[in-house]
Amino acid sequence: MSSTAGIYVHVPFCLTRCGYCDFNAYAGRDELKPRYLRALEREAGLAAPAWDGAEFASVFLGGGTPTTMKPKDLGALLRTLRASFDVAADAEISAEANPDTVDEASLAGLLMAGYTRLSMGAQSFDPAVLRALERLHAPESVRRAFHAARAAGYSNVNLDLIYGAHGESLESWEGTLAETISLTPEHVSAYALTIEPATPLGRAVARGDVPAPDPDTQADMFQLACSMLRDAGYGHYEVSNWARPGYECRHNLGYWRRQPYLGLGAGAHSYRDDRRWWNVRPPEEYLATVEGGELPIGGEETLEAGDAYLEEVFLRLRILEGVPASWIDDGQAEPFLETGLLLEDGGSLVPTERGMLLLNELVLGLTSGGRSASLSTL
Amino acid sequence: MSIDTAHIRNFCIVAHIDHGKSTLADRLLEVTHTVPDRDMRAQYLDKMDLERERGITIKAQSVRLLHDGYELNLIDTPGHVDFTYEVSRSLEACEGAVLLVDAAQGLEAQTLANYHLARDAGLVIVPALNKIDLPAAEPEQRTKELANLLDCDPSEIPHVSAKSGEGVDELLAAVIDRVPPPVGDAMEPLQALIFDSMFDPYRGVITYVRVQQGVLPSRARIKMFATQVESEAEETGVNAPEPTPVPELGPGEVGYLVTGLKDVHHAKVGDTITLAGKRGAPEPLPGYREPKPMVWSGLFPADGSDYADLRDALDRLKLSDAALHFEPETSQALGFGFRCGFLGLLHMDIVKERLEREFDLELIATAPNVEFHVFRGDEMTIVHNPAEMPPGGDHDKVEEPIVYATIITPADYLGAVLRLCQERRGELVDMSYLTPERVEVHYVLPMAEIVFDFFDQLKSGTRGYASLDYEPWGYQEANLVRVDVLLHGEPVDAFSTIVHRDKAYAYGKQMTERLKELIPRQLFDVAVQAAIGSKIIARETVKAKRKDVLAKCYGGDITRKRKLLETQKKGKERMRRVGRVDVPQEAFIQALRVDGAGSAKGKK
Repeated sequence: MSSTAGIYVHVPFCLTRCGYCDFNAYAGRDELKPRYLRALEREAGLAAPAWDGAEFASVFLGGGTPTTMKPKDLGALLRTLRASFDVAADAEISAEANPDTVDEASLAGLLMAGYTRLSMGAQSFDPAVLRALERLHAPESVRRAFHAARAAGYSNVNLDLIYGAHGESLESWEGTLAETISLTPEHVSAYALTIEPATPLGRAVARGDVPAPDPDTQADMFQLACSMLRDAGYGHYEVSNWARPGYECRHNLGYWRRQPYLGLGAGAHSYRDDRRWWNVRPPEEYLATVEGGELPIGGEETLEAGDAYLEEVFLRLRILEGVPASWIDDGQAEPFLETGLLLEDGGSLVPTERGMLLLNELVLGLTSGGRSASLSTL
Repeated sequence: MSIDTAHIRNFCIVAHIDHGKSTLADRLLEVTHTVPDRDMRAQYLDKMDLERERGITIKAQSVRLLHDGYELNLIDTPGHVDFTYEVSRSLEACEGAVLLVDAAQGLEAQTLANYHLARDAGLVIVPALNKIDLPAAEPEQRTKELANLLDCDPSEIPHVSAKSGEGVDELLAAVIDRVPPPVGDAMEPLQALIFDSMFDPYRGVITYVRVQQGVLPSRARIKMFATQVESEAEETGVNAPEPTPVPELGPGEVGYLVTGLKDVHHAKVGDTITLAGKRGAPEPLPGYREPKPMVWSGLFPADGSDYADLRDALDRLKLSDAALHFEPETSQALGFGFRCGFLGLLHMDIVKERLEREFDLELIATAPNVEFHVFRGDEMTIVHNPAEMPPGGDHDKVEEPIVYATIITPADYLGAVLRLCQERRGELVDMSYLTPERVEVHYVLPMAEIVFDFFDQLKSGTRGYASLDYEPWGYQEANLVRVDVLLHGEPVDAFSTIVHRDKAYAYGKQMTERLKELIPRQLFDVAVQAAIGSKIIARETVKAKRKDVLAKCYGGDITRKRKLLETQKKGKERMRRVGRVDVPQEAFIQALRVDGAGSAKGKK
């Protein structure tokens, strides 16, 4: 086993549910929080023996909205994790935050509790876009929360952005990017809005009440993000992620490099040695199972050689590390090299900016040959 | 035989669609107690499910009614223009025809066409006005119209309600009184006309015959003239209306014969049956014609691995459908399939539907086309498939089949009818006023122009009042060109068509616009072009796809993401490749869908 594993902790509570979100998150279930915290600690204890000997280089507290919990409670949770697992002293400890749920005092508390990296859901600086996304916060509260984080002592902050919502123009997106850059976060994640069928927004699109995002506009927006963030000194290290040098998210890189991770909490996924398993999603079921002293596993899969190869290829392409040219059947990369979707760089095939936008096509094209089946020892 | 020919009457009912032929047949079965009341059902004689569902009669049938000591053989005729030849053979089996006219609708194109056919066949016409109990009926007006047409006394036209049974007895009396008995000599060598032939999975080929001369015994060695095939006949009988064996069929009689054959191609409609050996007749009855397909289309299995199943299914259908032609065809775009010939669009629809329904096949059908004659010097090539047509005018001339069309329309819509016919390259032959309100128009029209949506257009242009009938009228030279559709420079053979030069642009534009919507965006701009030879006449572009990537891919997304990719991969594998362009199955089906295949729709 690789020595660098990660721990993901899922907090399924939110102030409200946003129309586009299909995460395992719930609004109005605050009464479950004390039980949930205890269950997370209990689950950590149940899972720990199997992870004996693994060194964890990152902890990521995601959701949901983790900052709907008290910093004190989150600090206690982290202490439990450190007691149960071998978490490196210099591990990257991240927490996601909603601008409306934090202020300088709470953020100082979170930092004190050991969460040294903050990932804030800004989404947009255009009020119309925030409304289209059903986000309650105003652009002003993002600025306020960001400055509060700085004042509290945070030196590693990510801002999450979403582009391509109905009504968002390229100009509006440019404004959001400029505002983001002016705040000088260490890290920026920018996601093309994806319509998930099982969400209120997905149903609105299916009914025809809201137009689906235009893929060409989203492509323009992606390319604008690439150029503006590059000019501002951010390195593009994954399809949707940019960072100042040295501030790449170690936890997420672990996913993409197919390193082991342990997921705790309702619906969380874990991965180790070509086996992936996931916890039951409904919080009540999760609580009842853990409180009964059992691991709350809802399902699992074992990756076949072909599955592992496919994952390896698409993840390597996503993080721009590229796929060794020797893995790919003769002639399969050429059309992409000729059309400028791939570059060959020191024996590796790396997607260009246009190639990143067409990553699915690259993956399908590069893995359609016979060689993929024989590459079973990744 | 128990009844001498003086007590036999062979007759049919000819009528326009919806004028009540099947209902009248039902009533005759009832009035003569041929079908016990408890077994009666609507459209009793329309046997196939498809027939009853579509309200059409595909196959002719005969039924024997006994009434007042007379043997009345009612021969049902197919009621669709696709089957004109079958109609003519059924008429040959009769001495008389009831010309049934809706008292509200009056004379229609098929009424006239059938009337002319019946008169030309030498039949005595017994006119009758049906639906006289309808509120909209205009019996006096319609009687006058009909009397005018037939040049008879209005009092000779019985008024009937096939629905209530009113007047049906009088009509039967008129049939017995006016239709002459058949003449035929039992001592002459056997000549029996096949007016219908069908395949029964248990009994093999069953023919419906009219004995003209001689006697057809229930068991005998028989010979078919056209095919020279001999066979041991197994049973003669009559439909009364369920099949009932009889010892023999004498001169003038109508009934069925279980031939002992296994393939309907050996016993074709219009052929003559005689006895094998020395006792056989030296000559067949006149008028036999090989069934000739008028409309051709490529049928391809949506799933290429169903090719063998499609071949087996066509082989099976052919056993019972002598008019169905097919030969293997290979399409670059659609793979292996068959070029099939049909009597008309209705026939094509029925075959396709039977293949899908009875054999559980999913099919892609190319746009139907007629048969073209392509001349180069003295050499004439018959073209059933646009792909066989030399591209870009490498020939001297092309001829297309034409039809002689009879259209009857209220005078108010005459303008619309003439406009439509002109648009369809028609040539006016003549027109005449049946009454001050109704006009009969004759046009010579290219068959290619009417087999598709002409009937729908005619109906919509005349609020449903106009009626149409047509018959083949030979071949005529026309300025026809082959239009190809190209994807990224590669011709897609399945989309090639042969059209008049004046309509090439419209076809090209329609196809390129359709395909622009149907072809998924690829990694490069795809030109969708229509061309005559090397000349591009229409062009659309499917813009290159720019974005196909999942935005988020964290711990829990990876499995989902991989499965999405696998699904996408399978979708790609199911697509057909034209040059470098991936085209989904559905795009072919949608692009080739015939809009408003008018003559194939509706009750006929």
